[in-house]
Amino acid sequence: MIEKLRIGIDTGGTFTDFVIHHKGRIQTKKVPSVPHDPSQAILEGIREFQDAAYSLLIIHGSTVATNSLLERKGARIALITTKGFEDILFIGRQVRKKLYSLKGEKRKSILSSDFCFGLDERTTAQGEIEKNISLEELKEILKKIKSLKTEAVAVSLINSYANSSNEKTIKKELDREKILSSISSDILPEYREYERTATTAVNTFLMPILNNYLSNLETKIKKADFRIMQSNEGYISPALAKQKPITTALSGPAGGVVGAFQLAKLAGFRNIITFDMGGTSTDVSLVDGLIRRTNECVIGDFPIRLPIIDIHSVGAGGGSIAYLDRGGSLRVGPQSAGAEPGPACYGQGTSPTVTDANLVLGRLDPEYFLGGKMKIYPERSFKAVEKLAKKINKSLLKTADGIIEIANANMEKAIRVISIERGIDPRNFALFSFGGAGGMHAAEISALLKMSKIIIPNNAGVLSALGLLLTDSIKDYSKSILKDAEEVSGKGLEKHLARLREKSLKEMIKDGFEPKDISFLPFLDLRYLGQSYEITIPYRMPSKSQKAFPFIGDFHEAHKKLYAYHHLQRPVEIVNLRLKAVGKSQKIKIKKYPLMTKNPEKAFLKKQAVYYAGKKHSASLYERSLLEPGNEISGPALLLSYESTTFIPPSFKVLVDGFLNLIIQKKR
Amino acid sequence: MIEFDPIELELFKNMFVSISEEMGAVLGRTALSPNIKERKDFSCALFNQKGETFAQGSHIPVHLGAMPLSVQSALRTCSFEENDLVVLNDPYRGGTHLPDLTCISPVFADKKLAFFVANRAHHSDVGGMTPGSMPLATEIFQEGLIIPPVKLVQKGKLREEILTLILANVRTPEERQGDLMAQIAANEKGKQRLQEIIKKYGLKKILQYTNLIQNYTEKILRETIKNIQDGNYSFTDYLDDDGIHRKPINISVIIRVKKDEAFIDFGFSSSQVEGSVNANFAVTCSAVLYVFRSLIKEDIPFNTGLMRPLKIYAPLGSIVNAQYPAATAGGNVETSQRIVDVLLGALALAIPREIPAASSGTMNNVAFGGYDPEKKTNFAYYETIGGGMGGSYDLPGLSGVHTHMTNSLNTPLEAVENYLPIRIHKYCLRKGSGGEGLHKGGEGIIRDYEFLVPTQVTIISERRKFSPYGIWGGKGGRKGRNILFSKGKEKILNSKVNLKVDPGDVLRIETPGGGGYGRRKK
Repeated sequence: MIEKLRIGIDTGGTFTDFVIHHKGRIQTKKVPSVPHDPSQAILEGIREFQDAAYSLLIIHGSTVATNSLLERKGARIALITTKGFEDILFIGRQVRKKLYSLKGEKRKSILSSDFCFGLDERTTAQGEIEKNISLEELKEILKKIKSLKTEAVAVSLINSYANSSNEKTIKKELDREKILSSISSDILPEYREYERTATTAVNTFLMPILNNYLSNLETKIKKADFRIMQSNEGYISPALAKQKPITTALSGPAGGVVGAFQLAKLAGFRNIITFDMGGTSTDVSLVDGLIRRTNECVIGDFPIRLPIIDIHSVGAGGGSIAYLDRGGSLRVGPQSAGAEPGPACYGQGTSPTVTDANLVLGRLDPEYFLGGKMKIYPERSFKAVEKLAKKINKSLLKTADGIIEIANANMEKAIRVISIERGIDPRNFALFSFGGAGGMHAAEISALLKMSKIIIPNNAGVLSALGLLLTDSIKDYSKSILKDAEEVSGKGLEKHLARLREKSLKEMIKDGFEPKDISFLPFLDLRYLGQSYEITIPYRMPSKSQKAFPFIGDFHEAHKKLYAYHHLQRPVEIVNLRLKAVGKSQKIKIKKYPLMTKNPEKAFLKKQAVYYAGKKHSASLYERSLLEPGNEISGPALLLSYESTTFIPPSFKVLVDGFLNLIIQKKR
Repeated sequence: MIEFDPIELELFKNMFVSISEEMGAVLGRTALSPNIKERKDFSCALFNQKGETFAQGSHIPVHLGAMPLSVQSALRTCSFEENDLVVLNDPYRGGTHLPDLTCISPVFADKKLAFFVANRAHHSDVGGMTPGSMPLATEIFQEGLIIPPVKLVQKGKLREEILTLILANVRTPEERQGDLMAQIAANEKGKQRLQEIIKKYGLKKILQYTNLIQNYTEKILRETIKNIQDGNYSFTDYLDDDGIHRKPINISVIIRVKKDEAFIDFGFSSSQVEGSVNANFAVTCSAVLYVFRSLIKEDIPFNTGLMRPLKIYAPLGSIVNAQYPAATAGGNVETSQRIVDVLLGALALAIPREIPAASSGTMNNVAFGGYDPEKKTNFAYYETIGGGMGGSYDLPGLSGVHTHMTNSLNTPLEAVENYLPIRIHKYCLRKGSGGEGLHKGGEGIIRDYEFLVPTQVTIISERRKFSPYGIWGGKGGRKGRNILFSKGKEKILNSKVNLKVDPGDVLRIETPGGGGYGRRKK
């Protein structure tokens, strides 16, 4: 087999990142993004490889779906549902967003109520079809839908998770009429009518746009195998992405987590918390040997109940603005100076930000912003922080320290949500920091949570694009069971599982995988009968001699771990059966260098004063790209690279490992 | 002059709020009943030694004012030891209405009582005349099991005899047990976190900032009130009836704003009534706090500091401060909404751009129960239905939402149909029910239930006779209706009713729309 040239492409807001792998060598590249047509930057970036003599494999993390959802710039769609429930998307869960807002919020829907149609049909919760579809009625509705010039149709009927045959009848008619459509029993065959309907409608809303975008790329890129990253940590073929565009809705951050997971594994870390601190927000996620996933996600006000990487976001970043509120408390964020006007030191804004505080404390080198390419005005930072300092009657340095401390506490809280609130102790984890602003805060945050080590990877600036080349193809399938485990037979479960397996095998083979490269991981969503949140537990086949299902015991254990109690006597309900299918792909290898000298003198730049915990220190500054494997540096120090600065506090030290990652830990 | 550190204030403020939120995360995730898990009908809070809150998280407004009263009541009757937990629901000893069970735990530091943590959750049945424990009662004894402050956990040991006593008095003991265990776990979490930070920062500092955070909230409310012109603002609105006598009940308020304080005078309101719409003082307090909290634009911690600039006069024995042993099940859910309506109506005279027209003004409480022959068990179920929000100066009102004193999620009908012998045939907006105006009121909801087995139904609803008011020329929202379709006949039901229905009967609830704001442009 000829080795392909692999390219990971991640579209970001400012740059489109490329990681190119060929014959064991990695090359990176950044091209300015073109927001109104992301394909332009992609074509620009791969032009030089188009005419080469080898074939390409491109894995792409796209923001097209996310952006069109957030901006509500999708297709003109219609909804067909059961009569009596036409307003389902408008009622939602009948709650308002803000508890203490007397006036409610402005709502932006993805379709208007004139585009929602009810059919006189009914399936019961037990899965019996009580009333069949009347083809006449359906045809009438389709006529109206056509006259409204809709581009696609979403179908979601009550109780279709229990029996999808009425939805399938409608799908057949829609296919016959050549109308683009998706049905809820395909997209999310799980109970909870609002979430299922919303997920299906959003999928439909995105279909025409993704279809255009991907078809356009496919025609313009020659001799390439093309894959699309999903938000569930794996990629799929464009053909599938066109049917289920919703699975790509968070694919950008997903690449970053996959990249972090794989690089950490190489470096010898199984348990990490990823920490991606940017200008306006910080994303964190937890990996304990496996990337954690969730089914409870909201994008642009819509619940998306599909497995996606569990990423928690808070409005705290380098651009977060510090101000004194009218109650006399010093706030940091969530308002951000963003890129415009940016932190005071960028030359436009006047509000003090986290970045300005860092500059005041000497934790940044004003001459080395973006490798010295960006002009910085440190005096503006001092002025902005000084103004705030006067208001709170504190010294300049104490105020800057306070800004950092509050920002760190906000980010610590985000990590608590994904670890401690879920019954997991962060002390057993390493903090994996990437993103432009993370390196300045990682050491202190890890100390707040008593985490043992911090990893700052090499190639942090293109981590998402790199992650794309380190991932497998993953597809998720599910089926709602909603029965007391006592009423379910092992045979019955196996039968459902076999059906899901058959379906996924077909789709995997269609995507070019050989059966030997496909593995299946079945799971069950379980809960105590009467609860309404589930815990996902790996499914284990009951042995013949066993009376009880082995996963029931696993569930009790997991419940205890998460919630500190369990009820061994309570009946357990099987809510959903899930199947994760993994198509193993050939991933790139990352080179490990032998460790060289401990002495980092080759990378040494100069000394600079930094302030830490109220004291002045003299820190050594190093050029990160000149550090060699084996180098050891004792804090206080600043490691400067093109896209970010890493601050090593006095009580910390850093080791450069064989993959050129920085491994930071407390001095003994 | 600043007498505290603004940096530390921010750090401790966030820490306290996050502790109460972590308690809520435990409670919401571990409870058994849909009402607590799905609808999140609960609150968690932290208290000082006097039983005043300094932080409250995951809250629903109707619990706001009531939480401190329950801790204070427990303080009066129980001597707390380490690892105790007190439970109560008695509306005359710190509760709101019987279904709300409050669990209170002391937090000790160095063997001395330092703080309390507490949570309150709505249980879907606590016994009484009808399933769901929202009956049309005339005295509290009919409404369910009354629990005065008693120790459910003593020195870390669950008192099985108390638990058994509670469970013997309710229709769904397993679910109650599960929910109570979740409430205990939530308090454990709060306790553990508070002890952690006491250890880290020292008790003295924590005590200092629990006070400062109350001052902080107080200061922001005072500044907000200062922006309202001094004066007396009054308003009157009506409850349809008490479910026993078909007579309207008036609630009147005069808000006297002076500088940075407000005196809220309910002296002209109706006396307490025979039916269950009596509000106890805790409920009235919650409604007042909700309204004034809503005037504050920024995100602030909710605590006792909010109470300080406000003085409430509610005569004992009136509809807004009922006297033992009046029935109170509906006071918490319905009267609380009307109290908000009159408070907002009065404030609209002072700050017309800030205050919207009336929202639906009822939670449309529906409770069912009976025996499911297929599953061979009893069932009990309770839910509330949203309505229209009032239009405002800036926006039309939202449609089909819960407003003011509640914001609990609906239960998915696919869950209802899977677990109960009930079929839901319609759940849609009630078109045309929102009041006309420059900014229209939001639409109400229509929900149809078909019963598959003989079922006992209780409805407690409002705004069936008096529509949600419009303001500044806007029209009122359409009144709600409760209709029973039985054996080919259609019957309009009263706003509060208890009835037995047969298989095949269909109950339709049409909820009120919101009032309109301003005259509609021609």
